[in-house]
Amino acid sequence: MAEYANLVRRALGQIGGHGGVRGFLTQFFRVNDVKTGALVGVDKYGNKYYEDSKHYFFGRHRWVIYTTEMNGKNTMWEVDGSMVPAEWHRWLHCMTDDPPTTHPPEPKKFLAEVHQFNVSGSSQQYVPYSTTHKKIHEWVPPKAGAQ
Amino acid sequence: MLRLPTVGRALAGAAKSSLAPSNTVRTSVRAASNMVEVFVDGKPLEVEPGTTVLQACEKAGIQIPRFCYHERLSVAGNCRMCLVEIERAPKPVAACAMPVMKGWNILTNSEKTRKAREGVMEFLLANHPLDCPICDQGGECDLQDQSMQFGSDRSRFTEGKRAVEDKNIGPLIKTIMTRCIQCTRCVRFASEIAGVEDLGTTGRGNNLQIGTYVEKMFMSELSGNVIDVCPVGALTSKPYAFTARPWETRKTESIDVLDAVGSNIMVSTRGGEVMRVMPRLNEDINEEWISDKTRFAYDGLKRQRLAQPMVKDDSGQLTPTTWEDALTRVAGALQSVQGSEVAAIAGGMADAETLVSLKDLLNRLNSENLCTEELFPMAGAGTDLRSNYLLNSRIAGIEDCDLLLLVGTNPRYEAPLFNARIRKSWLHNELRVAMVGHSVDLSFSYDHLGEETSVLKELANGTHPFCQVLSAAKRPVVVVGSSALQREDGAAIMRAVSTIAQNARTSSGVEERWKVLNVLHRVASQVAALDLGYKAGVDAIRAAPPKVLFLLGADAGCITRADLPEDSLIIYQGHHGDVGAPMADIILPGAAYTEKNATYVNTEGRSQQTRTAVTAPGMAREDWKIIRAVSELAGVTLPYDSVEGVRCRLAEVSPNLVRYDDVEEANYFKQANELAQAVNQDLLAAPLVPPQLTAKDFYMTDSISRASQTMAKCVKAVTEGAAAVDEPSVC
Amino acid sequence: MASAATRVAAGAAKVVKPIFSRDVDEAKRRARELYRAWYREVPNTVATFQLDITARQGRDKVREMFNKNKHISDPRVIDMLVIKGKMELEETIHVWKQKTHVMRYFQETEEPRANDFLSKFYGGHDP
Repeated sequence: MAEYANLVRRALGQIGGHGGVRGFLTQFFRVNDVKTGALVGVDKYGNKYYEDSKHYFFGRHRWVIYTTEMNGKNTMWEVDGSMVPAEWHRWLHCMTDDPPTTHPPEPKKFLAEVHQFNVSGSSQQYVPYSTTHKKIHEWVPPKAGAQ
Repeated sequence: MLRLPTVGRALAGAAKSSLAPSNTVRTSVRAASNMVEVFVDGKPLEVEPGTTVLQACEKAGIQIPRFCYHERLSVAGNCRMCLVEIERAPKPVAACAMPVMKGWNILTNSEKTRKAREGVMEFLLANHPLDCPICDQGGECDLQDQSMQFGSDRSRFTEGKRAVEDKNIGPLIKTIMTRCIQCTRCVRFASEIAGVEDLGTTGRGNNLQIGTYVEKMFMSELSGNVIDVCPVGALTSKPYAFTARPWETRKTESIDVLDAVGSNIMVSTRGGEVMRVMPRLNEDINEEWISDKTRFAYDGLKRQRLAQPMVKDDSGQLTPTTWEDALTRVAGALQSVQGSEVAAIAGGMADAETLVSLKDLLNRLNSENLCTEELFPMAGAGTDLRSNYLLNSRIAGIEDCDLLLLVGTNPRYEAPLFNARIRKSWLHNELRVAMVGHSVDLSFSYDHLGEETSVLKELANGTHPFCQVLSAAKRPVVVVGSSALQREDGAAIMRAVSTIAQNARTSSGVEERWKVLNVLHRVASQVAALDLGYKAGVDAIRAAPPKVLFLLGADAGCITRADLPEDSLIIYQGHHGDVGAPMADIILPGAAYTEKNATYVNTEGRSQQTRTAVTAPGMAREDWKIIRAVSELAGVTLPYDSVEGVRCRLAEVSPNLVRYDDVEEANYFKQANELAQAVNQDLLAAPLVPPQLTAKDFYMTDSISRASQTMAKCVKAVTEGAAAVDEPSVC
Repeated sequence: MASAATRVAAGAAKVVKPIFSRDVDEAKRRARELYRAWYREVPNTVATFQLDITARQGRDKVREMFNKNKHISDPRVIDMLVIKGKMELEETIHVWKQKTHVMRYFQETEEPRANDFLSKFYGGHDP
């Protein structure tokens, strides 16, 4: 009986934890999950990092709820794993147990000031190019009017 | 023998008959009773007296190893590799320098001979670096081959090797002097064939070095041949350095089209890229030499290429397009105008197949306006008589003549191999050369008669003092440069030259087959174009500007936009974006001479064919196919769609064009002269100055060599000195 | 020798050695048997190769392929075609073929090479 009570409590907690039925549904459709847990921290872009190692198995016990607007891009529905900045990445992927809120990372010059998305698949993606010399150099016609 | 350079004379002292190989070609066989009987390995053999041991063995089919001996150079006899044993002789003798005596038995494979070779090889290798894996000569090195065959199988060598500093002798030839075995072939080549006394030796014995004495460029238009002459990797090609190995390249026998001589070349390719160009033996044209432009301008084939059809868009910018689009536009333009409003100009590197298909296309469109860029006086006999525009005596024929009169030409840079042939005859056959025209350095001495046209007039009417010499000549030859005939008074010059030639012929009493009058052309396409009935010169087009102008590789810039009406359409078909392409409205990319199977006729009238060594870049196509495709879209389909078909058509028009490697004799000199007399034109006072005077005018003359970086470096090195183009060497 | 050859040739013109069938009826019977075998096999083929067609479409194709040769009356030729058909059938049953090979009955994927000058010109460097 106590188990069922617990279950109902958690269900209610999930509805309440996301701000009512509306928030719950939003969360459900946006993330496909309605986990609740302890808010460990929020990065400067607004991504929220949660942890609940009591109810969830290792590997599912840390998660992120993405912000809705990042670097000028609407990320309400278009979320991307690369939105997690470097300092949170290591905590989120269980490389460490120390979140950057309590253990701020050492400043390194390779750490980006503003975190950039991964641009693969977009028009800005890196395309490898041939580094061997061209066998034939084509003639480039002169620009019109530049005679 | 007196004209032999000092080095050659000293080196040739060993054998009086040193020049026998070049002479035997032309001298009659002596009576059989004079023959000397010798034995080669016991086999009896009859040879002429004065034959060297090496030549006798060659005749018996036995190759004697050699380094310093080269059959086109004087005998030096300093490498000692050709030592052979003569029976009952106390010591082995150097086969290259020893004339045979009656009854000698030459033992080419005896114990003593092999021992001698092994010893010589050991001495040669004592100071030769063992860097074959990084040597550009590796795989085609005489020393490598002969040490495998005749060398010892083990080394006794523990000492240090001699090292020699490399020398910068220009942007074409790379020197690794440590590898030099002092055969002096390059020195003899420079002084005998090229006629420049630039190379020489300093020091003695172990300290002997080949060099230019002072730091300077090896300045010759034939300098590249020392790469082939060098038996080791001491002189190698700078542009080719570390790019390919001989066994990984594919060799294609082809023809050079950068001048009108039509040198036979071998194009080495690897992976669809021309790696280098080498000469091919043809005794009638280039012997075994080629000019530097032929050899080194191949990198121009990889730059500035037209690889896509282009059309001008609304803003006047040439933009790449598809073949369908470009050809439809061309066909539409040809259909929308009258036949007389279409004209074509053929450039210097157009092949006969393309020329005939272009002519057929325009004739089907009712146009007769087909011109070549190169001018030729059309007055008098003009181009109607073939003898009027050929080098009738042939290149090899120069060796038979005893007096040569050059008019307004500089063969050294217009046709370097023709000049080399003159020099050979001058050196060995006591040829007397005279020149009317600007005084230039021809690498041999000549009587300069002046550069005024009045000299020509005096020669023609017999008042010039040189006429005495001319009339005394047994086999005279008169060569007039095509540039002299391109002046405004070209017809008058042709008349004068024709008269001089005719007078010389009558006074010499030479047989009917001997040709006196010769024209030396400068571009490869001219003779074929004139054979096919193209008009020489673009005057007709200037007089009646066409609506549609078809430029077939016309890059000399003799017609510009300004000569044509505003709304005219220019179509350029060719392989390089040079002078013609930027002013065109439609560009059709064609194939260069290494990329097509095509016929070219050289200045002698000898038709030869190039062969496909690599495929044309990008969307470029063989030239005659482009014209065939245009004809189909324009609704006047040409009746051939294979290269054999085009050649059948060529044979219909002019059968000599498909008789490859054969010269069709031209005649009617007398009639040509009579026609020329009818020309009513006076000689202008301006002196006869050929366009290529010094070496720097030689290197960049056409669209390929203008695109070549190597040729640009040559020009820079000639003007500013070899140090200006010095590159840090890798090795 | 020559006369022997002509005799053989003349004999060959009259009496030919049968492959299997002695007359046309027997040959037709073999063809019908093959048709039946194909007809039964089609649903299996569709299932095994996971073809995106119905069994009916497959059977229509079988019928079409047989109809293509219905004008042939020489028993030797019919026998030879039946042999070929059996080979095809065997290859299909044992899945020695792949999906693409079966589907080639429905559409030929290779494009014929162009023969006229212009197509060859547009196409590339080939002569």
